[in-house]
Amino acid sequence: MYFSDLGIVALILALGFALYALVGAVLGAWRSKRWLVASAQRSALVVTGFLLLAATCLIVSFLTHDFAVNYVAQHSSLSMPWYFTTAAFYGGQEGSLLYWATLLAVFTAIFVLTAKRVPEQLVPYVTATLMGIQSFLLVVLVSVSNPFVRSALAPRDGNGLNPLLMDPGMLVHPPLLLMGYMSFALPFAFALAALITGSLTSEWLRAIRRWMLASWTIQTAGLLVGAWWAYHVLGWGGYWGWDPVENAALLPWLTASAFLHSTMVQERRGMLKVWNLSLVIVSFALAIFGTFEVRSGIISSVHSFAYSAVGSYFLAFLVVIIVVSMALFFFRLPHLRSEQEFDSVLSREGVFLLNNFLLVGIAFATLWGTIFPLISAALRRQTMTVGPPFYNQVVGPLGVVLLLAMGVGPLLAWRRTSRAALWRNLRVPVVLAALCALILPLAGVTDVAANVGFAVCTFTASAIVYELWRGVRVRHGHGEGYARALYMLFQRYRQRYGGYVVHLGLVMLAVGVIGSHLFQVQRDAILHPGQEMSVAGYRFVYFGNVAKHEADQESITSQMQIWHDGQLQRYIYPGRTFYRNFDDQPASRISITTVGLTDLYVFLADWSGAAQATIRVFVNPLVPLVWYGGALMLLGGVLCWWPVRPHGGRSRKATHTAHAPVAQKTTGRVGV
Amino acid sequence: MQAAGTPLEEGVTSVRSRKRFPWSFVLAGVAVLGALLYLVYANTQANAVYYMTVSELKQCTTCTVQSVRVSGIVQAGSIVRSGQSERMTFTVVDGKQTLPVVYTGVVPDIFRAGIQVVVEGHYYTESASASTLLPRPGSGSDLGQGLFQAQTLLAKCPSKFQTAKAPPQ
Repeated sequence: MYFSDLGIVALILALGFALYALVGAVLGAWRSKRWLVASAQRSALVVTGFLLLAATCLIVSFLTHDFAVNYVAQHSSLSMPWYFTTAAFYGGQEGSLLYWATLLAVFTAIFVLTAKRVPEQLVPYVTATLMGIQSFLLVVLVSVSNPFVRSALAPRDGNGLNPLLMDPGMLVHPPLLLMGYMSFALPFAFALAALITGSLTSEWLRAIRRWMLASWTIQTAGLLVGAWWAYHVLGWGGYWGWDPVENAALLPWLTASAFLHSTMVQERRGMLKVWNLSLVIVSFALAIFGTFEVRSGIISSVHSFAYSAVGSYFLAFLVVIIVVSMALFFFRLPHLRSEQEFDSVLSREGVFLLNNFLLVGIAFATLWGTIFPLISAALRRQTMTVGPPFYNQVVGPLGVVLLLAMGVGPLLAWRRTSRAALWRNLRVPVVLAALCALILPLAGVTDVAANVGFAVCTFTASAIVYELWRGVRVRHGHGEGYARALYMLFQRYRQRYGGYVVHLGLVMLAVGVIGSHLFQVQRDAILHPGQEMSVAGYRFVYFGNVAKHEADQESITSQMQIWHDGQLQRYIYPGRTFYRNFDDQPASRISITTVGLTDLYVFLADWSGAAQATIRVFVNPLVPLVWYGGALMLLGGVLCWWPVRPHGGRSRKATHTAHAPVAQKTTGRVGV
Repeated sequence: MQAAGTPLEEGVTSVRSRKRFPWSFVLAGVAVLGALLYLVYANTQANAVYYMTVSELKQCTTCTVQSVRVSGIVQAGSIVRSGQSERMTFTVVDGKQTLPVVYTGVVPDIFRAGIQVVVEGHYYTESASASTLLPRPGSGSDLGQGLFQAQTLLAKCPSKFQTAKAPPQ
């Protein structure tokens, strides 16, 4: 018996147990039979076990080079190193779906094992929803997308993975992003459970927010790694191209970000219940839509994940989700009334609503641009597309307003803020922003858009830092040292201060984006040995090409020097490698030198013999800030999510009372 | 939750009906929505580009005056790179029709015969001075249908997801 046979059996058994768990959980909840619900929970754990078994079987098939399995033959070869062979497991259609299903099972298991923290009436319905999604994936895996299909005759060697994909970034980016997409199922399950049972308690809100925070963090990581990989491997000098596949990953991230803010309004004031539930459901629907779009090929993209019947399965699943969710919504609408009213626009609720409008607006614009080919084909009978300029020009202004809101938000009180108090809090950031707006043009930055962008970033960053400073100062006034005060702030008000870290990271990222987008310098030159090209104050001297022949690859490397201010900075070796076994597929080795906050990106575009090369140089200012900012966002997400000690009640009450003194300070004296 | 009994602040009427309609929010929301719709509409108008296959391009009558995107497959044996400049010519096919393309710029690593590409640029028919765009005039390429001058060349990434097919023997 082969491992692949074991794998198929595991998949079929998993499907059986998943269906049992689905039916058992629903029946058990409906008929109030605890033993049935408990049995369904255990069955969900069994599903996890079988899926892990199936995944192991597939990985073992890869590592033992069982080329009779079609999937193994298509995506690996004898000469691949073991870590790429293992990674090829999720590198193809069928394997990536198995990876999806396995991760969903793992997250389901985590939920089942921590189910005590969740209100009891929700547990069976969350389990049922998760098992429903799992059953769908297993049905697809067992029927049209089976990774364990064997051929009668095993080929001697497999196809192997395209060398462009055999790269550390490619090892990490797909699993992260797939995990991110999958993780939106958890908050979705909680949302459906709340709609079915009609109970939207604060514990439910806390649980769903923490799961959504985890999804958001994972999706952020996936997006960042993807951008990093594109920048380092593909050679076009950028990191985000507004490609449909990239947009598909961004969409649920945007709605998740909106949700993480509006839940605070619901928690505080019992408002926006319908809106929050919609955001959760829409996030999951967008994740499924993204998967469908990527695998069905209906929208042409440079990421050519080629296409199969799986696409139509996902579309059907998407329709089912939307229909079921809307039906439940209308059924439960009376339960979802707001508990309180909106008072003033100049309040934290107001700015959170603004944040939501902007984020959802950006998501809408991105979605519009992505499916525009379909819309135009349907309406005008002519397929049309929009490129990066559309997205930049729409998302840019909205993003700047969003950054502004991010700075003002924490300084506003709940319900209403008096203008005097607001000005008192805004004074310092506004002055700093004005200074920035004055100094930059004097320093030579004349682009208006950049100046506005940088001024807003200065405003927001200083507002956040000022908030941190005020918090530390208050505690220091009570006798704590500055460092300890900062640490204690993070310990006790983790959500708030973790949020500040995320915001700081986003501002840093925005600065990096503005710098690299508006101030990139590009120059091409054909050079002979001894010649040089000069870009933005750096001299790039070329010496010649060196060719290297190895058994499975050939490479060509140019030797160059970078000079600055009359000093030799370093040697660099941009080049290309050609993999013989893949029809001489070339892969670029791009030389990226980070000097302070600027990247010198040197790319060997073309060459002739040993003494001529066409070199393309990008000088990308502030790009490192994109990566640092992104890392800071991830850190902030983890901080926000990090569980509080079991005295959860005390901590939450402490958060509320902590807000009270701040609120009193911001609203100022009552009356005049 | 915050205490409901805050003393009256300036500007607040003494009787607050619970059903007060949040006009300020609606106004702000409409403003944001309006800005969004305007941005999307204006930029769609400004940036939308025709996207077509080679056959559709040949049939299109209005496509010579604007920038268009054409997708197709690179014909085997048609790639000619000139040594000194970065200029390259190749032919894009879509099953039936062929389109000669001239492109100056950096070529993506994945570019080779048989892959799917999207080129963006202008289409010159015979009436325009298409012949001057070829690096070597009269080299034997058939100009019959016109020439496409590409500003942008996008090549599709290597395929990652494929349905299970019979493995190579």
